[in-house]
Amino acid sequence: MAELRLEHLEKIYDNKVQAVFDFNLDVKDGELIVLVGPSGCGKSTTLRMVAGLEDITHGKMLLNGKDVTDTPAKDRDIAMVFQSYALYGHMTVYENMAFSLTLRKEDPNVIHKKVLAAADVLGLTEQLNKKPAQLSGGQRQRVAMGRSIVRNPQLFLFDEPLSNLDAKLRSATRREILLLHKRLNATMLYVTHDQTEALTLADRIVCMSMGHVQQIGTPLELYDAPANLFVASFIGLPPMNFVDAKVEQNRLVAKHFALPLTDAEQKTLRPYLGKEIVLGFRPENTSVGNHFEMKVLSNENLGMNTLVHGHIGRDGSGERITCKLNGWCQYKAGDVVSISITKKHFFDKETTQAIRMEEEA
Amino acid sequence: MNQEELRIKRDRMRYTKDKFSANLTLVAILFDALYFVNIYQSDVGTYYYNWVIGVSVVYNLLFMLMAFLASEGVKNRVGGYTPLLIFIGLVQFARIFYLPTKAHAASLDVQGVSVQVMSNSQYGYLIVCLVLSGVCCLIAAVTSYINNKNLAEYMRSIENQAA
Repeated sequence: MAELRLEHLEKIYDNKVQAVFDFNLDVKDGELIVLVGPSGCGKSTTLRMVAGLEDITHGKMLLNGKDVTDTPAKDRDIAMVFQSYALYGHMTVYENMAFSLTLRKEDPNVIHKKVLAAADVLGLTEQLNKKPAQLSGGQRQRVAMGRSIVRNPQLFLFDEPLSNLDAKLRSATRREILLLHKRLNATMLYVTHDQTEALTLADRIVCMSMGHVQQIGTPLELYDAPANLFVASFIGLPPMNFVDAKVEQNRLVAKHFALPLTDAEQKTLRPYLGKEIVLGFRPENTSVGNHFEMKVLSNENLGMNTLVHGHIGRDGSGERITCKLNGWCQYKAGDVVSISITKKHFFDKETTQAIRMEEEA
Repeated sequence: MNQEELRIKRDRMRYTKDKFSANLTLVAILFDALYFVNIYQSDVGTYYYNWVIGVSVVYNLLFMLMAFLASEGVKNRVGGYTPLLIFIGLVQFARIFYLPTKAHAASLDVQGVSVQVMSNSQYGYLIVCLVLSGVCCLIAAVTSYINNKNLAEYMRSIENQAA
């Protein structure tokens, strides 16, 4: 398999629009990297540059230490799986999977062995004589993956492969991709806008926004220690709540409440004394308690938990927030609930960067 | 070819089409087309203007239809098309002795001059076209039959192993 290094990659289109800014990434052998971000953040453009489908305006791409920046797509030994599957409708599954090898004029018996092995891995053996139109979306996506596997490429690229599938199938196919990655131990680059996919699949996540890399880290790092407000708001479902608050000596004062600060927090926030910062807390880091009151707007019972949406303050004039409370709660609109925050995140209001606790930093 | 290669070759037949037989059948259509284009271009008085030409035109259309259907059939390894291919292949040979041979033997009086209806070279060309067309059909039929038989045997062996 392969190690990939992207150095200062940039993409500027002919109309001078810059889609990717100074993208740097080291992908280790066998690693599954997920590029995540909202539509238009440059993740697919980056993937297409790696595939060779887009020219790299500036920067360098090294595959196993070899500079392949200007190498044509066909010579990069990289396989790409598209959202639209891109299967040949008039060919059977077997023929679709064998197609690239047939073009290379490989021995038919060798092709046969490779196709059967890939079909076995993907659970497609029974479908080999069928045409794509006779398959479900998940099966079609597996055929598209099979077509990549038979080539035994150095690097697999996935461009939102699950976007065309319904929720149930997406979840099942996601598990299959994960198993496939473990079985093949292949180096993979995976693009998605779905943070659930990113968190469940990735060894490391690259979070992007407006063409810039916001943070690179393990799923836990991005969830637990987001680098800035964008990452904090993008990763996690429901998203993190944010409240403006002023730092005082031993407490944090927001419009509707004041939170006591621990010694470590006081030390961390000392440079911000007297200044406003952004307090962030995840819905799942709240419980019924005594830090502030929330006027309930609506309830979403999820079984084990309840998502309670509302506004901070007894009169509901504060920021809109969401809390994930344990158990089956039956609050009505207009009810007032007292909430505690069990884990806090702090962000610089001007730079939007996270303020790291000293031991974290 | 060793046993393993032979096994893989037969296993491959489960998923691949019999393109050789199918393409050979299409080549048979091509030779038939060369045949009828040539003979219908002949313009020797009124010799060809009778019902025989009508039957010939209809049969050529039928031949192309049957051969095309057989081509698709053998491509998908459907055994029932083998007899059809043998039949239309043999008919192509038989046709040599009807229209071309009769025309070759016939002469026509055109403005007081006796003219041979079909030259030796045209006769030879038409024979070659029909023979090649027939041979293609027969080879396609035999190949398809052998492949289908091998595949059926292989499938039986797999089923026996599974049992």
